[in-house]
Amino acid sequence: MVVASKQSLNARTAVPWVTTVARLVLGGVLIAAGWLKIGNPSDSVVAVKAYQLLPDSLATTVGYGLPILEIVVGVLLVVGLLTRVAGVVGGLLMFAFVFGIAWAWAHGLRIDCGCFGGGGQLGAGVQPSYLLDILRDFGLVVLGAWIVRFPPGHFALDSALGLAGGERVHDEQEGIG
Amino acid sequence: MSKGDRAKSAREKIKAQQAADRVRERRRKAVTYATVSVVAVAAVGLGAWYAASTSQAEQVGGSLPPTTVNPDGSVTMAQSGVTKPVIDIFEDFQCPACKQMEEVSGSTFRNLAAEGKAKVVYHPITIFSTDPTKSNSLRAGAAARCLTDGRQWVGFHDLLYKNQPSETAEGFTTDQMVAWAKQAGATGAGIDTCITGQKNVQAQLDYSAKVMKEQKLSGTPTVKLNGTALDNKVVFAPKDLRDAVTKAAK
Repeated sequence: MVVASKQSLNARTAVPWVTTVARLVLGGVLIAAGWLKIGNPSDSVVAVKAYQLLPDSLATTVGYGLPILEIVVGVLLVVGLLTRVAGVVGGLLMFAFVFGIAWAWAHGLRIDCGCFGGGGQLGAGVQPSYLLDILRDFGLVVLGAWIVRFPPGHFALDSALGLAGGERVHDEQEGIG
Repeated sequence: MSKGDRAKSAREKIKAQQAADRVRERRRKAVTYATVSVVAVAAVGLGAWYAASTSQAEQVGGSLPPTTVNPDGSVTMAQSGVTKPVIDIFEDFQCPACKQMEEVSGSTFRNLAAEGKAKVVYHPITIFSTDPTKSNSLRAGAAARCLTDGRQWVGFHDLLYKNQPSETAEGFTTDQMVAWAKQAGATGAGIDTCITGQKNVQAQLDYSAKVMKEQKLSGTPTVKLNGTALDNKVVFAPKDLRDAVTKAAK
């Protein structure tokens, strides 16, 4: 009995740390992805259009908005502000990417067209690494789900601002311990 | 009032106090939450708006500048006597990024030529090496070589981009392109047979190979200003593009 309760106590103290790590990883990936795209909005419009998932006008809007959305959500996750909402949006974004890549794969699209200096196109023998991309993004979806389930983790502005809701009691206990 | 009653009323006072605290706390939370949400949404909206505004295409002003189709298949667009700065545009009719470039910056190239601020040279090449993109691009590039009038060539060029097929489907069929050539005003006797006969395929292949080797192109679109490749960030931002060209003219 004693052992069991000790384990559950360990698990309880570990949960907020896992959330913090998940926030940093998902947030960091989003910031990096947005940052790489934000310098050239047209690049991102072409990329969104390449998936042939959205009508052109909508794809254009998404292309312009996506990089900044990624950066803003990424920053919110890293600092732990509106953690739960940011987790939902970040997770949904990653889920959309999983869907998009799976769609491209199923339809035989060669997304890495590399029109921007990448040699024009993938060579005859080169396959786009769809499976790896899907696995990576799916892992990030899981991190998003974790963040939504167990917000806000340690080092979160939500706690400092008292936005953490039910977690507050938890934090106060930690303060004592 | 008995001792018990007093204790009860004190308890109730504390309870009421706590309830008021909770309400205030809830309100404060709601305000903080709303503020942060509004700031975040505004940041996204502003960023998207800014991105869209840097990619805003110029209006095409005035009439088309004098345009000539050169023997090698390249096309020069410039006011007479304007020899520099030179803007070389290397593009593939099948490349989606080239279509995007035409939509965003095509009007700027045309305006700069019309204003006599630059000599613009189009080099339609085929960079794709696998089908269906390669054959789509070759058919279109070969067909464009059939148009010898500058004004008609430009019209045909625009129609090709407007009707660019998906990278996974066969497109740019000869029947379609005959119709587009007519739409662009090319009604000469030989046009139809030139396009359907695809007699310029080898010329397109040779020219593409030659240009890619000489210019050391790594992809399309590539835009060179006086022989130096411009960063795509500049090429896809009409204002920056115009600034770069006017600066090179000084």
